[in-house]
Parts: sequence; structure tokens; C-alpha cells
Amino acid sequence: MEEQGKVRLIVVGGGTAGWMTAAALIKLLPGRCDVHLVESEAIGIVGVGEATLPHLRSFNERLGIDEAEFMAGTRATFKLGIEFRDWGRIGDGYIHPFGTFGRGSGDIDFHHYWTRLYRDSGEAPPIGDYSMAVVMAYLNRFRLPDPDPARLESTFSYAYQFDATLFAPFLRRLSEGTGARRTEGRIVDVELDGESGDIKAIRLESGERIEGDLFVDCSGFVSLLLGKALGEPFEDWSQWLLCDRAVAMPCRTRTALTPYTSAIAMESGWRWRIPLQHRTGNGYVYSSEFISDEEARQALVSSVEGEPIAEPRVLKFKAGRRRRSWVANCIGVGLSSGFLEPLESTSIYLIQAAITSLIELFPNPDISPADRDEFNRLIDMEYDRIRDFLILHYHATERSDTPFWDYVRTMQVPDSLKEKMELFRERGRVAKYREGVFLDASWIAVYVGQGVIPEGYDLRAGLPGSAALRQAMEALRSEVRTTAQAMPDHLTHIEHYCPMEAAAA
Amino acid sequence: MSGAPAMGSVAVAGGGLTAWSAAAALKRRIPSLDVTVVTMPVPPNALADRMISTLPSIHGFHRDIGLTDEDTIVRARSGVRLGTLFDGWVEGLPDYVHAYDPYGAPIEGISFHQLWLRERREAALPPFDRYSRAAEMGRSGKPPNRTDDTFEFGLQFSLHLYGEMMRAYALHLGVAERRGPILDIELRASGNGIERLVMDDGGSVSADLFVDCTGPRALIRSRLKSDFTDWSQWLRCDRLIMADAPPAADLEVMDRATAASFGWQWRASSPEQTSIGLAYSSTHVREEALARELVPLGIAAASDAVALHQGRWGDLWSGNCVAVGDAAVAVEPLEWTNLHLAHSQIDRIIAMMPGKDCAAVELGEFNRQCAAEADRVRDFLCLHYVCSRRSEPFWKDAAAVAPPDSLAHTLSQFAERGRLPFHEEETFARDSWLAVTLGQGFEPRHTDPLAGLVTPASAQQALRTMRHSLDRPSPAIPTESLIDLNPRGAR
Repeated sequence: MEEQGKVRLIVVGGGTAGWMTAAALIKLLPGRCDVHLVESEAIGIVGVGEATLPHLRSFNERLGIDEAEFMAGTRATFKLGIEFRDWGRIGDGYIHPFGTFGRGSGDIDFHHYWTRLYRDSGEAPPIGDYSMAVVMAYLNRFRLPDPDPARLESTFSYAYQFDATLFAPFLRRLSEGTGARRTEGRIVDVELDGESGDIKAIRLESGERIEGDLFVDCSGFVSLLLGKALGEPFEDWSQWLLCDRAVAMPCRTRTALTPYTSAIAMESGWRWRIPLQHRTGNGYVYSSEFISDEEARQALVSSVEGEPIAEPRVLKFKAGRRRRSWVANCIGVGLSSGFLEPLESTSIYLIQAAITSLIELFPNPDISPADRDEFNRLIDMEYDRIRDFLILHYHATERSDTPFWDYVRTMQVPDSLKEKMELFRERGRVAKYREGVFLDASWIAVYVGQGVIPEGYDLRAGLPGSAALRQAMEALRSEVRTTAQAMPDHLTHIEHYCPMEAAAA
Repeated sequence: MSGAPAMGSVAVAGGGLTAWSAAAALKRRIPSLDVTVVTMPVPPNALADRMISTLPSIHGFHRDIGLTDEDTIVRARSGVRLGTLFDGWVEGLPDYVHAYDPYGAPIEGISFHQLWLRERREAALPPFDRYSRAAEMGRSGKPPNRTDDTFEFGLQFSLHLYGEMMRAYALHLGVAERRGPILDIELRASGNGIERLVMDDGGSVSADLFVDCTGPRALIRSRLKSDFTDWSQWLRCDRLIMADAPPAADLEVMDRATAASFGWQWRASSPEQTSIGLAYSSTHVREEALARELVPLGIAAASDAVALHQGRWGDLWSGNCVAVGDAAVAVEPLEWTNLHLAHSQIDRIIAMMPGKDCAAVELGEFNRQCAAEADRVRDFLCLHYVCSRRSEPFWKDAAAVAPPDSLAHTLSQFAERGRLPFHEEETFARDSWLAVTLGQGFEPRHTDPLAGLVTPASAQQALRTMRHSLDRPSPAIPTESLIDLNPRGAR
């Protein structure tokens, strides 16, 4: 074995992806790389992903970020899950919780008992009634989870809803304090090595030329290095994920600060509602094939609560990903490597997954193909699983009231998803994996919430007598409710724990 | 669709402890099933029924079916095994121990092996297995302290006592016994399932589900889809010679796997017996050398060799028949995975029990999981050969073979920076993979860059402290009370 030299790492772009990358590498690989971030304030950031998944907490912890300080600084609220309204059928609603159904322990998954109750009597309370995270969310309660796995209060997790435009500056302060260099300027040219195909340097409008060993492309949709300079093809998934536009408009609102994000199905897409401490983010994600920008704008304006803070702004995108995220000496992190609509808050998760894999496989100055291939394998796996999970939301519907919903209801879905759905429908089995995002409870929530109810259940769930089962289920349901009711109100918890500065309000 | 009626009756074919374990587990965990064992003699190559050494996973199997250490260790007179001593697998390297307890402990959040590898370039350090408490204890020959209930250990069976115990337990739970032999196996008219077993006494056994625990010949499963996948290009031992001997004078807490000139030999001991054997390749063997190998084992040169054809069924579960243990996956006894795989398959049958119609979509997921698990066990066994280094033709061939893709992936990742990629359905923990790779001298080119977060001074200090903590004499307990171990996991 030999000692490795320091890698000159150039991060291109200073949005959420760029500063998350810079902050993590400087903190975790201080001896291995010099981090130099190049951004142009003139370009601005998309600031997607106001809603996050619980994984972000471990990212922040690893970076030594104090939770309360982070939440106050990004005006964050707590998030116990995502509410879906009108997806399976108009009028239906459910929450995809960050937590389990039932106690999450025992030999047999809880939803088998629920299925039995439902199948035996043709009706059952919503499965969410047996989930701490769901009941807390609907009751607007919050408290940090209990570490004791024996307690019901340990069966949920949480994420944040925050102002993404404040997260990058927060991380920038952290990174610049620990040694990251930052250069302001617009990139006008990317210099490739004719022989190896590697990126040698980038050139700025000012004429400055910046050389590097490894380039991380955080330039957003434009995909300056990975897409433009290296020409990595884009794999288009819009045949399944039709939405290609969003119109966004924040509002000031005094309505309840919900500890969850809402995704409300609309005529030709869906609308998000993300409550932060100082405002509520709103947006309509739609397919331009089915609705015009103007109609979408009007639909959004007429459905939001509270006083608008800004004019509606339209964003364009396409679902899919670059075939490979790591090509030559360039790694795409964030939107430069692919885009999936924010339906399940995966944007920041995908950034984090790329950074985690990059750290795990951080190369030497002479990049080994084994590292690159493994990185791409891991990122592919994440993208593919999220893709299927997102498609499920559209496909598992009875809606045929608009051309959009009728199309997605009847479209051909990937075989991998078709098999997963059949398996669940048969006997409530969830295709198992332990690594990656969205484990069993997430799939169960969406299946059941959108009307994919198993025909059968685990044989062992049939063992208890009917009356005993009914009684035990009812006892659990009432315990969940009582436990949630005893928790503080979400807003009260925030005011106590992580209030934003008064000036920001 | 699963409005399909529920599975009602199960016939388990096989006469060994695999069949009785399957029957007991099915009956205990799904009491609504009618379970019948159709018994027959155990063939000599049914290794899950014949090997006395087990992995630590057996405790979970016992717990799930309501058996305590009192039943499985005390009354069945099982010994405790902490691991296996591998000797001679790489010429010029000392022997090494694969134990199930952790090797070292993370230092400031960084994997132990990364820092051990890094610091060893600066100064001589003890071998990797000298940082494992269980390996140290195994070498010292001392059983674990009874107060120390965090130990991962497997069992050494007193085979007939354990088998009897399991049979008695199954019968006690209400499993029925039907004596063979089976004269004929009648297929369904469609050809894609089993109708009934025609018995020697003129009767027959029908069931919704047939569980085939008949050993590698897979008496029932082999009548359905022929999709056996051959592994002999990677696992070349196709002959076994085994024998029983009296128990060791002093109880042994480690078994041995010693490389031989055209295979390897084992020795494992329980309170009632010692199991010895030789696994070898019939294409590499030379008769006079074979006789020489057998002498120190105390096996008569004329002993019959048993054939073993390593591989697995493509679909373990086909139609209404599921294969379990050696009937499903035939592998050599290296690392004692035969019974472990059987237990795992039994557990999956119970947890994923389909309806009576055995819908394809349900079997598909079962088969996918079982296949992934078996293939990963194959990879782990193959690892021992790929990382071996000996001059005899058998070993040269074994090390030269291109490994299966999934193993090649692991090896290339490990070779780069000591990274072991995650695999679904993995039997052996990372530390097991490390024990074998590092024990056999297969070392990565670079250390993990994250290890740079730990300064050399604090890494060296932590390594010293860990080593010293293992030097403290551990109070030995008299061998008699070994079977009086603190009941572990018993609830």
C-alpha cells in the first residue's frame, strides 16, 4: 500500500448540492482533498426540496451541525410524513409516515392483521390510525422520538421542512470557516484532456483558469460538466413520470403549522404545501401536455391559503437521470445528475446519497474504475427504486375524471413495479430490501392509501380469534391516540426548541 | 388470487434432523397446519443432517420455535463452538481463526480493520484475529465465561441426542409420523405439482405442500422443474469421506479446517462424539496420497467416499414442492452452512407461506430471496479457495478460477480499499469476510480515506488498548459446567 496525495476537488455550483458537498468533504476528508467551490451569484439557485427525508438528520449529525441552530437558521418545521389527498380517488386521503404501522416489532408485519380485519368484515379503521407518526401529524403534535424501542413513542422518525435558499448559505458559513475556498464567477469554458477525456480545468468569465483532479458538478439542470462538457446522455423517464413543469408561489399564512407536507392531486398533476416557520411553500407540478402554464398558474393561485409573498414562478424540467453520474473525473451531484419530481421529497436525499457514496469511494488522484463503477451502481439503485415508488403514486388510482389521470391509471409501468404491486395485492408481501430509501412501511402506506389492498394475509395473522383480534387492534388504536394527544403542539415545540429570529418573521 | 384457500396440510419428507426441524417449526409457528413427516433413512451426503457443527444463527431458530438452551444444550449435550481454526490454506502464513464475535472495535467511528491495516505499515502488529476475544478464547481452548452472555457461538451437536430431541419435540407439538419408504411419487395431471406419495404399505400421503428434506438427491423436488445450477467450477470438492470418533478428552471450543493436498479435512468435537472428514476433488486425487491423508485422521483407507455435486435448484420452490437443506442447496461442509441454510429456508417458508394455490408471484419472491442467500454462501465458500495459496494442482486450479460475478465484485471492491459492499440476504457478517480475507493474506491496496480522520497516535493507542484487554486472563470454567451455560437468548 502507498500513501495517497491530496486531491484538488473543484465543486461547480453553489446551491444546496454544492454546499452540502463542500461542507461534507471538508469535514470528513480534510487530509485527502482541497475543496474549491466556484459559483456565480448571478445564476441563482433552484432551491428545490424544501421538504426532506429523515436521512438528512444523520448527514447533519456527521457534520456536527446543531439541530436547533440549523432549524432556526433555515426557519424549519418538523415533518412526520407526507399527506396525500385525492390520489387514489377524489376525497381519499392518507399520510405516508416516517415510522411504522403498529409497534413495528413482532414476527408478523402489522398490516397483515389490519388486512384480516378489513377482509373479514369488509371494513376497518384507516391503517394510519395505528401509526404514531400519522396520528401525531393529524393531531398537529410533535415531540422527539423516545430512544427506548419498547415504547410506542419510539416508532416514528422525522425530517424537516425548511427554506432551502437558507440552507446553502448556512453550509457555506460552516465550510468557509473550515477551509473551503470559494470563487465567484461564471464558467465560460471547460477544458478536456484530449487523451484521457478527463476535465483538466474550468475557465471563468474573468479569464481565471482553475485546474483540478476531481470535479463535482453541482450546476443544476444545465449539467454544465456532466451533461454539456462530457456529453453523458440523459435517460428520459417522462413516459412514466409525465410532469414536466411546476409553478411555485410562497404565501404568508397563519393557518396551522402542520408537521407534515401535503401533496394534493390536481387535474393534471399535484400541488405541494410545505409549511415553514415564516411562510408556506406552494406549487403545482403538472404535465404541459395536459394543461397550459396559465391554467396551472390560475389553479394554483385559486387554491393556496394566505397572502402571496411572490409572483408565481414557472420551472421546467424532465424526469430522468444521466446514464452515469460519475464519468471520467467528474461526478454529478443533485440536479446535474438527474431529476425526480418532489413528490416524495427525494431531491436532497439523492444529493446526500451521492455525497455519502463519494466519501466512501473517494478516489486517489489516479481514479480507479472500480470506484467509479461502484459509485454508479449505488446511485442507479437509488434512482431506480425511487422511480418505481413515484410511479406507483400515479398508477395506483381509480381516477379517470381527467385525461391526465386516465392516462397514468392505464399506462404501462416498468416490470419491476408491476411485480411489486402484484406481490402486495396477493398477500401483502413487500419486496424486501434493507438498503436504500423507502422501506416496507412507505410502500405499505401508499399501496393501502391508494386502494391496493391485499387479497390475502399472512397465515399466522389468522391465528388469533376474531374477537381477540378486534379487541387488541382497538386497544392499540386507542393507545396510539392517547399517546399522541399527550404530546405538545407542533408550534409550541418549535417555539420552545428552535424559533427563528424575530426579524425574519 | 389469494382469495385462494389457506394452506392446510404439509408433508415433510426426510428422516433426519432437517425434516424434524422443519416439521416442528411449521407446526409450532402455524398451528393450523397438519404436518406429517414421511420418514426414511438419511443418505450419507445429507450434510445438514450429518454435520455436528452449527452457526450461531441456530439460537434464533430455537427461540422462534420455543426451544430453550435447557433443551438444546443441556439435555441434548451440545458443545459450544466459538469458531473454526483454518490451517494451511495459504503457504507461509500462520493459521487463523474465523470466530463470530467482533474483531476489534471501531476507532472514532472508523472500521477497525482499516486502522489495523494502516498502522501495520508503520510497525509490526499482531495478526488480525488476535483482536478477537472469541478467537483468542478459542485458541486458548477455554470455553466462554458463563457470565459473559454476549458471546456469539455455534453448537457442536451430539448428533443422535439432538436429532432425538427434535423428533420428540415435533411429535409433542402434534406432528404425525409416517414411515417410508416411498414407492412412487405421483405427479399432478398438469405435471407442475405433486399429487401424492405412494407408500410401501399400499397407502399414500397427500398434502397441499410437500417439503423435500431428503438430501442432495431431492427425491421429490427433482421430479418437477429440472433447473439445477451447477457450482462445481467454483467448488471442486465432489467427494467426502467422513467418520465418527470418540469425543476429545478435553472439550474443544474450536473446530479445525485443515488444507490437504487435494481438498481439506475437518475435525469437530462435541461432548459425545468427534466428527472427522475429508472433502476432496476426485479429479485431483491420487489414491496413494489419499490413503496417506486418511491415516492421521484415523479413517480406514478403504472407507467409502460419498459423492457430492455442489449447486442449487434454480427455483427452490416449484409448484407445491419446496426443497430444504441439501435437497435445495448442496454445498461442502466448509463453514458449516448446510443446516444454517435449511433453517433459513424453513423460516422463509413460514414467513412467506403462500395460499394453497402456490401463486407464481408469491413463489417468485421466495425463490428470489432463497437464491440470493444461497449464492452469497457459495461466494463466501469460494472466497476461501480464491484467496488460498498452495502449490498443489488442486489449489492452483481453485485459486485460478474466475469467481462468480457477485464475488468478483466484492473482491474488486475489497482489493481497492478494504470495502465490503452491502449485499441483500448475506449470511456472514463483515467481520467474517474480514477474518477470511485478512487471515489468508488478501489485503487492499489503499486504506479508506475516511481513516485519515484518526491520527496515528490515537489509532496506535486504541489498538494497544484492545490487544491488552484481551490479554487479561479470562476465568475458565470447568468443562463439566460448560453445558450449564447461562441460558442464552432463552425467554
